[in-house]
Order: sequence, then C-alpha cells, then structure tokens
Amino acid sequence: MFTTVVMKELKGILLSQKFALTFGVVSVLILMSIVAGISEFTAGARQYDTAVQLAEQQLREASNWMAISARALRPPDPLVVFVSGVHNDIGRLSSINGHEAVKLLNSVYADDPIFAVFRSLDLMFIVQVVLSLFAILFTYDAITGERESGTLQLSLANPLPRRTFILAKATGIWAGLLLSLSVPMILGLLVVSLAGVPLSDSDWMRIGALFVGSLLYFTVWVAGGIAVSTWTRTPSASFMACLVLWIATVLILPRVGVLAAEQLVGVPTVAEVDAQKDGFEKAAWEKQMAGLSERWKKREEAMQGFSKEQREAYRDAHMWQWMQEEDAGRKAVQTEIDAYGLRLQEDLRNKRSAQERLAFTLARTSPAAIYQLASMQIARTSVTLKNATETSMEEYRSQFTAHVEKKQQESGGTGGFKITVDSEKGFSFSSPRERGTLDISDLPRYQWNPTPVGQLLADAGWDGLLLAVFALASLALAVIGFHRYDVR
Amino acid sequence: MLRLLIIKEIRDIVGSTKFAVTFGVCSLLVLLVFIVGARAYHTAVGQHDAAKRENLRRMEGITDWMQVHDMNVYMPPQPLSALVAGVAHDIGRTVTVEGRGELTAHDSRYSDEPMLAVFRQFDLEFLFTVVLSLFAILFAFDAVSGEKERGTLRLTFASPVPRRTFIAGKLLGAYLTLVVSLLLPIAAGSALLIVMGVPMTGDDWVRLTLIIAAGFLYLGVFLSLSVLVSAMTTRSTTSFLVLLVVWIVAVLIVPRAAVLFAGRAVDVPSVDAVAAQKAKFSAGLWGDDRSAMAAFKPSKSGDMQAVMQEFQQMMQKLADDRDRKMREFASRVNEERRNRQDVQEAVAFGLARITPAACFTLAATRLAGTSFEMKQHFLAATERYQKAFGEFMVAKTGMNPGGRMVVLRVVVGDEKKPEPINTAEIPAFSYAPMQVADVAGGTALDILLLLAVNLFFIVGAVAAFLRYDVR
Repeated sequence: MFTTVVMKELKGILLSQKFALTFGVVSVLILMSIVAGISEFTAGARQYDTAVQLAEQQLREASNWMAISARALRPPDPLVVFVSGVHNDIGRLSSINGHEAVKLLNSVYADDPIFAVFRSLDLMFIVQVVLSLFAILFTYDAITGERESGTLQLSLANPLPRRTFILAKATGIWAGLLLSLSVPMILGLLVVSLAGVPLSDSDWMRIGALFVGSLLYFTVWVAGGIAVSTWTRTPSASFMACLVLWIATVLILPRVGVLAAEQLVGVPTVAEVDAQKDGFEKAAWEKQMAGLSERWKKREEAMQGFSKEQREAYRDAHMWQWMQEEDAGRKAVQTEIDAYGLRLQEDLRNKRSAQERLAFTLARTSPAAIYQLASMQIARTSVTLKNATETSMEEYRSQFTAHVEKKQQESGGTGGFKITVDSEKGFSFSSPRERGTLDISDLPRYQWNPTPVGQLLADAGWDGLLLAVFALASLALAVIGFHRYDVR
Repeated sequence: MLRLLIIKEIRDIVGSTKFAVTFGVCSLLVLLVFIVGARAYHTAVGQHDAAKRENLRRMEGITDWMQVHDMNVYMPPQPLSALVAGVAHDIGRTVTVEGRGELTAHDSRYSDEPMLAVFRQFDLEFLFTVVLSLFAILFAFDAVSGEKERGTLRLTFASPVPRRTFIAGKLLGAYLTLVVSLLLPIAAGSALLIVMGVPMTGDDWVRLTLIIAAGFLYLGVFLSLSVLVSAMTTRSTTSFLVLLVVWIVAVLIVPRAAVLFAGRAVDVPSVDAVAAQKAKFSAGLWGDDRSAMAAFKPSKSGDMQAVMQEFQQMMQKLADDRDRKMREFASRVNEERRNRQDVQEAVAFGLARITPAACFTLAATRLAGTSFEMKQHFLAATERYQKAFGEFMVAKTGMNPGGRMVVLRVVVGDEKKPEPINTAEIPAFSYAPMQVADVAGGTALDILLLLAVNLFFIVGAVAAFLRYDVR
C-alpha cells in the first residue's frame, strides 16, 4: 500500500506541468550559479597568483633589512564556487613588517564596489532561498488540495491507515523533488571537475557534506510544507501560511538574532581600537624621546670641563655603547607597543566572538540560518575566517620579524637615513646600506594553513543534526495534524 | 461603470484573507526596515563619534606639531544610507590622511564585523526588490484567470461592460490597493524615524520620497505584468508559475549575470598590479632623492637652527617634487584603471537595466547616495580635506607631513617645557552627502525606464484581455 501511494505521488509530480517548469528553472539556476562560482573562483585565484608574484618581486627589490616589508595573502578556497560566504567581504592581504600590526585589507567588494551591488549568486543562496520556495510550492496543497478536489475522501475509503498515507505522500513528494534536483547538481559537479578547479580529495569530501546539508535543509521545507497543509483547510490558506513561515524563517529570524546580539553585546570598532593603539604608540615614543633627551643631556654633562680633543676621544670611545643603549631602548618600546596592540586586538576578538556566538545561537532558531552557517563553515568562508587568517598572519609576522632582526644584526647598521646637526661638526647626512639586494632566500614566506577538514565537518555535523531534528519535528507535526484532519 | 469596477476590485482584494495576511506581513516588514534602519544609523553614529574622539585623543599631550603626521577621517553616517545600504557597508569608512600621498579607504563595516555580512542588512531596497515584488505578484496573479476559474468573469460580461473598462478597473483597483496599503506602514515608519531621533533634512525627505516613488513604480511593473500574464493564461496556477519564473529571472538572475558578464568581458587591471606599479615608481623616486639629500651642503654652518631650517626647506622641495611626480604617475595609472572600470560599469549596468529590478536598485542606491559611485565620492571629499590639512600643517610647522617620514628632534640643552598642542585647531573633515540636484539626472533614466515598462505591460494587459476567452 505504502509503495502504491509513493508511486502515485511520484507520478503526480513528475508528470505535472508545474514540475516541468520548475525543473527547468532550477536546473538553469543551479548550473548558472556554479558557472558563475567557477568564474569568480578562477578570477580570484588568478588575482591571488599575480599578487603573490608581485609581493615576491617587492621582497626581491628591497634594499635594506630595516625597511623590508612582506605581504601575506589569503588564497580563495575552491569551495567559494558553491558558498561565497564572507570571502568577498574581508580583506585579502596584510602588510607584514616590524612597525605595523597585522590588518586584513583590500576586500574584493571594497576594491571593486561594482561586484557588491547585486552580490554573488551562489549555490547556497539558490538552495536557501529559491529551492525552499519551490519545496513549498510542491507541498502546500498536499492535503488541502486533495481535500478540495475530493480525492482525499476516495483514497481513505480504502483500508489505508492515515499514518501510512501521510508518510507515503511525504516520501513520494520528497523522492520526486530530490531525484530531479540531483540531475542539475550532478551536472554542476561535472562542470566543476571539467573546468579545472583544483579539488583535492578532502575538498570532494567537503562538497559531499555540503550536498548532504542542502538535502537536509530541503527536507525540512518539504516536511514543513506538508505539515502546514495538514493544519489548514483550503489550499490558499495553506499557501499563505507557508509563505508567512518562509518569510519569517528565511528573511527575518536570522537577522533578528544579529540585531539582538548587536544590542546586547557592545564591541568597539576597528577604527576606535586603531586610534587607541596609535595613541599608546605616540605616548610611548614621546616618553622614549623625553628619555633620549635626558640621556644625551647627562652624556653631555659627563663631558663637562673636557677639552675639545678629550671630548672627541670620549665620544668615540662611548658612541658604540650609546647607540646600543638607544637601540635596545627603541626595541623595548616597539615590543611594548606590539604587546599592547595584541592585547587590544585579543580583547576586541574576544568581545566580537562573544557577540557572534550569541547572534548565531539566536539565529539558529531558523533552519535557513542553520543551513547557511553550516555551509559557510564547510566552505571555510564563515566569520571565523577573519580571525583564523589574522592569527596565522600574526604568527607569520613574529617569524618574519625575528628573521629580519637576525639579519639586521648580521649586516649591521640601520636603515633609512640619519641627519646630524652638531654645533661643532656641522651638518652631516648618512644613509647606510643603500643599494644592493638582500639575500632573501631563507626569509620565511607566508603559508596559508586552512582549518583541518575533520574539525570543519565535526562543527558542521551539529548543525546537520539540528536540521535533521527540524525535519523530523515537521514530519511528526504532519502526522499528528493529519490524524486529526477532517477529510470531508 | 469604471468606478464601480474599481470599487468592486478593491473590495475583492481587501476582503480576502490573502490581503489580510499579506497586509499584516508587509506592514510588519516595512516597520521592521525602518526600525532596523534607525537603529543602524544610531549605531553607526556611535561608532563614528567614538572613532573621531579616539583619533583626537591619541594626539593629546603632544607638544610639537611636528609630531602630528596624519589625521584619520571617517565617513559620517547618513540617515538614508541606513535605509538603503547599497555598498555603504562594503567600502572603507576610514582614510588616513597625510599631507601628501595617495589616499585609500579601509575598514569597511562588513570587514570589521563579518557577522553582519553573513545575513546582510535588511533594508528598504531589499524589501522592495525581493519581498514586496513577490507580494505584488500574489496580489494580481489571478486577476483574470482566477475570475474565469470561479466563473464570475462570465457573469460580469453578461452585463453590458466593455472589456477595456473591465481590465482598466482591474489594473487601477490593484494599483490603488497596493499603494494605499503600503503607504500606511511607510508613513508610520517615517514617523518612527522622527520619533527615534534620526536627523533627516528636507533634502533627505525628498530623496526618501523619490526612492519610495521609484519603489511603487517598480511594484507597478510586477502588478501590471501579473495582470498581463493572468490575461494570457486560463488557469491561475499556471499564471502563478509563469510569474514566479519571470520573477526569479528578473530579480535574482539577470542583474548578477550582467555584472558577472561585464567582469569577464572587460578586463580591469587588479588593484594589486596597480599598487605594485606605483610602489616601484615611488621607490625609484626615493632613490634619486636620497642622493640629493646626501649631497646637501648648508650655505652657512654654525647656526644650528638655520641649518636645520635650510635642510627642511630642501626636504620640503624634494618632497613636493616627488609628490608631484608621484601624483602625475598615480593619476595616470589610476585613470587607466578608472577608464576600464567605467567601461565595465557601463556594460554591467547597461545589461542589467533589462530588468526593472536592476533599474530600481540603481535608482534607489543612487538617490540614497550609496551607489557604486559612493567610494569615489568619499575619496574625492578626503582629497579636498588632504589639501586643507596639508596647508594647515605647513602653516603650523613649515612642513607638509607625509611619505612615511619620521622627524625625531632631539633637543640637547635647556629649554622651557613646551605647551601641548590644541587638537581642536586641526581642520575638521566635512562630507557633503549627495543632494537631490546631484542625483536627479542619473536616476531620471531608471525612473523613465520603469515608467515605460509599466506602460508597456498595461497596454499589453489591455490588448491581451481584449482577445481573452472568458468562458
């Protein structure tokens, strides 16, 4: 009996005009989004490659260790083809040097706002917004429609338990839609593998996880639509109820979570923190300068009463030591500034993570948000991307500066130029170590180390479980609703 | 007769549960948009003020203007950009201004707080383009085919009603109901803006009105299209499906596909390539100037103050020269990129304008001052500020700071303790948002296009209905 109803539903769907139309549209949409994603990814990868080359070239052209500055770049993940997430919103690169903190700059959208006007159309968006709408379209009248056309009474005139009927119906609709969805999806994957997107085995694993997530999310909507249908009397009423539910779930609930979190957890802006950091830096240097004046005054005082020659001799004898002292002092100040900056940064990150956690916990009341967050997590384009990138670049920065420091000591001398105006010696200008290239062969280069797949999938697994719970709850609601349904 | 039909149509729509539900949901959403906008505005103002305060505080206690190297300026939040976000959250809000050198904006809202980028802001433009257009379809998809299904169409034409009058009544009734039912929550939302203390100027109100008017025109397109489709199909489910497909293509696909196509078709040099070109040129200039500095011989030695001053003058001249050359080079490179970008934009938006959704988005963001041109507008304002700041610094120190130079003056000897500088003297940054007069010309095309499409579909609906089989 169960199979008979399932087959009837399957036929009903596959042979309908509605199905032919939506199938066409969905196929075009999915394929288009994948083609667009591939084009976006290849453009991004090309930009990354050129940028890496340019950064390398800049390193090669550097002429002194004091002023050397590297660039750390964040490569695009191949899965941006399916889920762009915040990939285009956060910066692509950061300067790495001794005097600036790590800061991600030059996001794709900030560089070229033209791409931000309509945003990108990725597979995740299609599944989240369009497919959910289609799921409703095929399920809202599952029961109410049959009641109106009178077939419900006829069906139940047979010895058919209600539970079997509703479960078979749900299975039939679900299988029909899913079968048809898998065709463009598989075609899309074929296009991806043919288009030369470099995908490793673990990437394919992530793609698999992404598809399982999409399937679960779609199931939630199929079950949800049927559930609504068992709790309403007419198709138009069930359609309206579904639409309201859809708007609330897809458009409103996710944002309400973010709004509430913004309200509840205050986080200072980057501009504010930067200005604070800068203020501290200025004050620290000012103090250092005051100390410097003081120390020179003392050194001059020590030479009180010396003759001109004695002065020269004393100076020559002590100059190296003085320079060392000053250099050590300067380094101490820079370390202090770096430590303060990192502390502020750490504090900002902690606050922001707390805000994000709250926002996303609240947003997870909506399956659409769960699906989106899980997909971004899997594709490595979630909000954690920013912190992860910055942290790894900070690690690189300490390696880089340590190396440069060592080299600087080996090569001796400072960079930049020095102007001395002395009442006795007059004016002198020196700029040591001007031309000539550096040996940068053993200078560490930035290596992007992505979050391991196992961890990503474990995190996303919880969201998958949550989606399954939503789907089962909707199905249970449908069964309960249909048990009490007045089929006349 | 027409009046009677209009009234009947309005009664039909208003009396249905469909209307009650959609009206409720729409009102809720419209109010939500205004509340979210007002809140976003206040948050942005708070962030902006805090940043500005902190920026001045970092200079407190400095006793020498020579220690002031740069000034951070921040894009002041605009009430309308909170309602129509456009690219406002995507482009940098902070510019570090030195007396010279090229300016770049950094710290966009979405890069600062990627949390907000996950779901994006729910704004007026999104509400109109995506949600309300769907509702407009729901309003009218069964205008003709539904009546046919119910059999009321035949009854109506049993009385002496001209077909043209009937379809005109349908169209007008639907338009009127939609406009009136949306105006209510929009008026309430606007009142909320005042209550929540968003400082809207007269100009802002005019622009907001124009945005909403464009929005109504846009909804009108979907309304008349729905009537047209319903007059070409015999079953209401068919008309709904056709409309849904059209909606997906027009709202979701075409605009993005157009930008994507333009991105591929028109090659624009990447920001990195341009930056590398500039860095190379700048390094060359520096190398030349270093040797010039090393060759410096003071005209008279002895007076330290005089020597330092002379040297600074020379440095100033070198820096000015370098700046001029750099500027020339940068403007050439930038212009090349700009020109390519212009072509790209023209292709992208020219293509996208096939769909009314893109027309509306472009018109609304331009009216709100948050279109893709916002970045240039902001950078132009900061460039004006850079000049003022440079002149101020020259007046204060005789030197224009810039170009990553740190002047450390070590004074050996007794001097009386200097007074701290007064940071209030630094010129303030002012950002004049777009005025109606600035944007009216650019939006006229989009609004005219929307009007034309409306008319086209209305005429189409009438023509289709004249040939409709009412049985």
